[in-house]
Amino acid sequence: MLELLQRTLEGLLEAGPYALIGLGLTISFGVLRRINLAFGATALLAAYVGSWLHVRWGVPALGVWTAVIVITVLVGFYVEWMCFDIADDSVAGMRRQSSVALGLDIREASVLAASFALWMQIEQVAVNFQPNHLHPFPDLSSKHNFELGGIDLRPDRIFVFFLTSALIAGLAIWLQHSRLGLGIRALSSSQAAAQVCGFNILRLRYMGTAVSCALCGLASCAVLSMDGQVTPMFGMWVLIKGLTCALLGGLGSVRGVLGGAILLGITEAHAQSLWGPIGRDAATWGLLLLALLFQAYSLKHKFSHAKKV
Amino acid sequence: MLEIEEIACGYGKIEALRKVSLQANQNAVTCLLGPNGAGKTTLMMSLAGILKPTHGSIKFEGQNLIGLTPSQIVQRGLALVPENRLVFPALTVRENLMAGAYLRKDKPGIANDIEQQLHRFPRLHERIGQLAGTLSGGEQQMLAVGRALMSRPRLLMMDEPSVGLAPKVVAEIFGIIQKLHHEGTTIFLVEQNVHMAMKVAQHFYLLQQGRVTFSGTPDQLAGDDLVKRAYLAGHSAAA
Repeated sequence: MLELLQRTLEGLLEAGPYALIGLGLTISFGVLRRINLAFGATALLAAYVGSWLHVRWGVPALGVWTAVIVITVLVGFYVEWMCFDIADDSVAGMRRQSSVALGLDIREASVLAASFALWMQIEQVAVNFQPNHLHPFPDLSSKHNFELGGIDLRPDRIFVFFLTSALIAGLAIWLQHSRLGLGIRALSSSQAAAQVCGFNILRLRYMGTAVSCALCGLASCAVLSMDGQVTPMFGMWVLIKGLTCALLGGLGSVRGVLGGAILLGITEAHAQSLWGPIGRDAATWGLLLLALLFQAYSLKHKFSHAKKV
Repeated sequence: MLEIEEIACGYGKIEALRKVSLQANQNAVTCLLGPNGAGKTTLMMSLAGILKPTHGSIKFEGQNLIGLTPSQIVQRGLALVPENRLVFPALTVRENLMAGAYLRKDKPGIANDIEQQLHRFPRLHERIGQLAGTLSGGEQQMLAVGRALMSRPRLLMMDEPSVGLAPKVVAEIFGIIQKLHHEGTTIFLVEQNVHMAMKVAQHFYLLQQGRVTFSGTPDQLAGDDLVKRAYLAGHSAAA
C-alpha cells in the first residue's frame, strides 16, 4: 500500500512540468490552429545553449534558466516565421480568398509538414553545436531525501512541483481574467469570429507563441535541473509528453491538460515500478495512442453530427 | 453614410463583384437582396476589411475604408454580424459580449453596455454563464447581434440573420432589427427573406451575378416584374 502511495505521489510530482509543456503546446495550437512539431527541438536547442553557457562560461543556474527561456522564445519565433508565416504566404492568395463563414484553412497540411522539417533542422543545428551525447545542466537535486510517514520525497521534485503549480495557477488566472487572455481564448475558439470582431490576430499569435515557448523553456529547465544533464533525446521527450497531455486534455482546455498531465505522470510512475523504464515508455506511447484514437473518434462524431444537421 | 463605388472583388480569376455601387443612408435600414452566389457575402467581407477589393472605393462618413484592416474598420464604427452567427463557441455568453468590445478600453462603459445587451436580449441574460456553442440558433443570432453592438457601431452590417432559423425565431430577429432601427441604429442588411426584409427596410438593392440590377424603395421593389417573379411570388397572399 505504501509502495502504491509512493509511486502515485512521484507521478503527481512529475505532472507539474508535463502540464507546463502541455499548456504551451495547447496555447500554440490554439493561436496557430495546428500542432507545432518543432516544439521539442526548440527546447533541445535552448537547453544545449544553456548547458554550453554553464560549462564553458560558468553561468549560474538562474542565468542558465533565463537564457534557456529567452532562447526557447527566440527559436519559437524563428519557427513561427519560417514555418507558419512563410508557409502561409506560399498559399497567401487562397488565404485571402478563404471564406470566413466556412472557416476554411487549406494551409494546415503544408504547415504541419513544414514544422516537421523545422524540427529536423533545429535538432541538427543543436547536435552539430554540441556533438557529445551527455551535457551537464545546473543541478538542483539534493543528495538527501526526506521521509514523511514512510514515503521518500525528493526536495527538488517538491520545489519543481510547487513552482510549476504556481505558474499554472498564474497562467489560468491570466487567461481567464486579462484582456489578452480573453483575446487568446477567443482566437483559439474561432479565428473567423476573432477576425470579424476586429482582433489584431497577428499580435495575438505572436503573444501566444511567446507565452507557449516561455512555458516550454521553463518546464525544460525544471526537468533538466532534476536530472542534471541534457541528451539529444530531450527534444523528442518534450514533444511526446506535451503532445500526450495536450491531446488527453482535448487540445484546448487548461483543466483538460492538467488532468492529462496527472494521468500521464501517475501512469508512468506505476508502469516504471512494475515493468521498468521500458514499461514507462510503453505507457507513454500507449496513452498517446489512446489520446489520438479518442481525438479521431471525436472528429468522426463531429462530422457525422454536422452531416445530420 | 456608406458609399460604395464600383467595387470589384473576386477569388482568383473568378469575379464575384463587378463594379458594384450602392449606398446606405444614416438612420435607415438598407437591404441587399440576391440569390445564392450573387456576391452578397463577398461584399460584406469587403466592407469588413476581410477581403480586399481590386477596384473601386468604399467610403464611410467620407473616409476611405479600402486598405484598412478589420481591426481599423471596427474602430471606424462598422460592425458585422456574420452569416451563420460565428459566435465564439468555447466562450461564455458574457465573454462573447466582452470580445465584441475587445478594441475598447473603457471598462465602466463596457460593463454598462453588457447590461444593456442583457436587458435587450433577456434570453441571453438567462444564459449569461453558458458556453455560446451550446445555445440554440436563435440565441446565437441574438448573441452575434449583441456582440456586434458592443463595439458601439455607427453602422451595423447584418449578413442573412434569418438563415437556418425557425419562422418564429426569424420574426423575433426582425423585431429586434426594427427596434434597433427605431433606436437610431443605421443598418445594412443582406437578406434572402424578402417578405421579412420589406417590413423593416427603407431601401433595397438587388445583386445578381455580382452586379446591382435593381435599386429602389419597397414600393418600387414590389412593383418590379422581375423581382416579383423571382422573390415575391405569393407575397400578397402571405402579407
